[in-house]
Parts: sequence; C-alpha cells; structure tokens
Amino acid sequence: MTSSPGTHLPHEQKQLMRRAAKLEWISIGYAACTIALVALVVGNSQAMRTAWIEDMLSVLPQLAFLIALRWTRKTRKPRHPYGYHRSMGAGHLVAGVALLVVGAMLAFESMSALVKAEHPTIGTVNLFGQTIWQGWPMILVMTVIVVPAVILGRLKIKVAEPLHNKLLYADSKMAKADWQTNAASIVGVAGIGLGIWWLDSVAALVISIGILKDGWDSTRSATSDLLDSRASALDSTDPHPLVLRIEEHLARIDWVREAAVRARELGQVQHIEVFVVPRSDKVDVKQVAGICAELEELDWQAYDVVVIPVESIPEHLDRVPAKE
Amino acid sequence: MARAKSPTLQRLLLGMAVLPLLSGCVAQFPVDPEGTLQEVRSGTISVGVTPNANFVEVADEELQGSEIQVIKDFAESLDAEVEWTVAGEEQLVAALEDGDLDLVAGGISSKTPWSEKVGMTRPYTTQIDADGQESKIVMLVPPGENAFLFEVERFLDRTQEKP
Repeated sequence: MTSSPGTHLPHEQKQLMRRAAKLEWISIGYAACTIALVALVVGNSQAMRTAWIEDMLSVLPQLAFLIALRWTRKTRKPRHPYGYHRSMGAGHLVAGVALLVVGAMLAFESMSALVKAEHPTIGTVNLFGQTIWQGWPMILVMTVIVVPAVILGRLKIKVAEPLHNKLLYADSKMAKADWQTNAASIVGVAGIGLGIWWLDSVAALVISIGILKDGWDSTRSATSDLLDSRASALDSTDPHPLVLRIEEHLARIDWVREAAVRARELGQVQHIEVFVVPRSDKVDVKQVAGICAELEELDWQAYDVVVIPVESIPEHLDRVPAKE
Repeated sequence: MARAKSPTLQRLLLGMAVLPLLSGCVAQFPVDPEGTLQEVRSGTISVGVTPNANFVEVADEELQGSEIQVIKDFAESLDAEVEWTVAGEEQLVAALEDGDLDLVAGGISSKTPWSEKVGMTRPYTTQIDADGQESKIVMLVPPGENAFLFEVERFLDRTQEKP
C-alpha cells in the first residue's frame, strides 16, 4: 500500500483543481460586482430583493469550496488517518443548510406579501433631467449581469465533472440556472409595470423555491456522502463506475473465490475497502499487496485501497460473482 | 443536458425582447393596479395634509403654505379639483392605504417610517430642522399606484428645484 500524502492527485487533476479554484475566485469577484450593481436598483420589488439575496447566497458554495480546498491539501497524520478530503463534504453541507434556511425565509416572506396583498411601489429616477420609471434600470441590470454568470457556470461544470467534486458540481449547476432567477425578477418587475401587483410576489416565490431546491439537493447529497453511502455517480444513486471496474478486476483474479467492495467518497477520491475470500486457507502477503497496487493503478480516484482477506463476505455487501 | 436547455434560453431571450414592445402597447406605463391616476385626471384629487411649519398652515379655516401651493398647481396640471382633508399623519396614512386619499403632505421627511406602508415620492425640497440638520421633504402616495407616483414625480421634477 503506497502511503500518499493529502495532495494525492495526478498532474492532470491538479491542473483541473487549480483551474477550478481560479474559476471560483473569478465567480466571487463577479458576484461582488453584481451585488453592488443590483444594490443600486433593487428598490421595492420583492422579486428583485429575493434575486439580490440569491446573488449573495451564490457565494457560499464558492467560499466553501475555496476554504475546503486549503484543507484537502494537508497531509494525513496519525490524528487524521483518512486525510482531509472530507472537508469538501463538510463545506457542501454547510452551504446546503444555509441555502435551505434562507430559501425558506424568503419563501415565507413572498407568501406573506401575497396574502397581505401588498402592492409594491416603484417610483422614478431623474436621469439627465428625464423622469424615468425605476423598473427600466432594474430590467436592464438583471438582463446584463446574467450572461457572464451562466458562462462561468458552464466553464465550472466542465471542471467539476472530471474531478468528481460534488461541491463544485452543485455550485456550477446553481450558476448555470442563474438565468432563471434573473428572468423571474424581470417578470416580477414587468408585472408591477403592467399593474399586476401579485406577479412580483409570485416571481419572488419562484426564486425562493429555486434556492430551497438547491439547498435541499446540496444538503441531501452532502449528508449522504458524510454518512458513507456507497460511492455514486454525480447526479444519481447508481454505484460509481469505478466500483464496477474494481469488481470486474477482482472477478479476474485466480486465487479469489469471492469478493466485495466497500467504497465511500472523500471529496475527489474514494476510500476503497475490498473483502476477499481466498480459494485456499493460506494467503500470501504479496498477493494482497499486489491487489492493492493494481487497484490503486486502476484509477486515480481509488485512494487508500485496503484489502482484507476474510472467511466469508459480510452479509450486507454485494458479492462479486466468483470466476468459473 | 446543455443541449436541452438552450432552446428554453432562446425562447426566454425572445420573451425579454417582447416585454418592452408589449409595454409600448399599453398607453400608460407603469400602470396603476387601482387606477388612481385615471380617476384623478379631470376629476377630484383627495389630498390629506397635516399642519407643519411653512409647508402646511391652517389659519381661519384657510389652507396656506408652500406645499398647499405645489399641490394646487399639480391638481391644475391634471385638470382636477382638490378635496382637502386635514388630520394627523397616522389617520392620513391609514386613509392612503385604504384608497380613500390620493396624496398626503405636511413637511414629511424622507426618513418617515410610513414609507413601509405607503408609497413615497423622491425628495423634492429640503428643510433645516431644529437641530440644524437638513431633512429631505417628500409626499406620500397610495401603495403600488405607480402611474400616479410617476405623474407626481414628473411634475415635481419639472417645477421644483432638486434638493
């Protein structure tokens, strides 16, 4: 078993990580600009206010990623035998819970505005001696700022997928869906302009439900990873392809009668435990070490592979069918 | 997944382009949900005032003061008769909320807590108060009656010196 440091990532993945960090810094910088710009026009529209808070919240997963990234670089030591990869999961959970709480508060606010039939008041601004309805600059700002956000989201998703980083993936999906928030806020403002007062609160409700959904997805996915659920593909509960590849590999080994894999996600990488039932009662240490090395070579995500010879496979695990 | 989303995005962008066109079709933009401006034009404008310094003075049943004059001019610009109500701010704001009044004035500063409940114009003049602090003066309008607010602010922009 090779003892790799916490930075256990091949060159290509390290490059991707650096790129991800750079994209996240750009995202935070861009978010700061949009938050300042929207602050100038936010006004009395509930939809605009909700979209503004959503902009602020979008920074949370980005900050969580950058902070977690610093931690994952630390090396393993006796007090932290599994390394610090899980800090991504912790960051993911914190961001998810924050989104859930604020999303629920915003949803409540927009519903209470609907129930109380609050008519949003939007006045005018005086630009170069012209009296202009404030709704126009609102719509303009929300239209202009949406494009870079969506482009950033698309760039990030291309990095998140090969890295198998769920926090980054959740963040890029949020950014990609950002145009829906902006579109909803524009519909809300246009509704006020057309005298349809309730459209503003409905648009705000739609935006808050989007935040709630992001929060729920993140919280669920992070909790499931922290509870050591079976390693899964990014967007599903199906077993991670690597698990299947390891099982295939085990089925081809002569001296193994039966085997089972236990894989859990640690941020980018997976901690793999393999149970093997040998054909004979005697197992050579070299044979065990051989499997470890082969499996770690199979894929960079196979991290810290442990092979345990046993008399029978534990009941709760799926068996790899023995080779005939 | 990316491919499935782009038609939606295109349709949305198209929709955004249609919005300003749509608003062009509506004669007045923004629109009042309760139609205040339409009712006031060539009709009666119900104005509530609270006596306050030089802005609103009540002497021998006569209303005087700078804001009284501004409101009279505004009503004239809309070809409307003014129906005055003199009362305390709280009563006047409640009447604005219920739609019984169209405009409230009386040296109200832009920091008024009433702005949570009703609409407020941009400040159109200033006053030096007792502490030597400058406060900005606004008028109050019914909540969400954005066409009417637009009309008031446009009138103030044209006739008043900005603070």
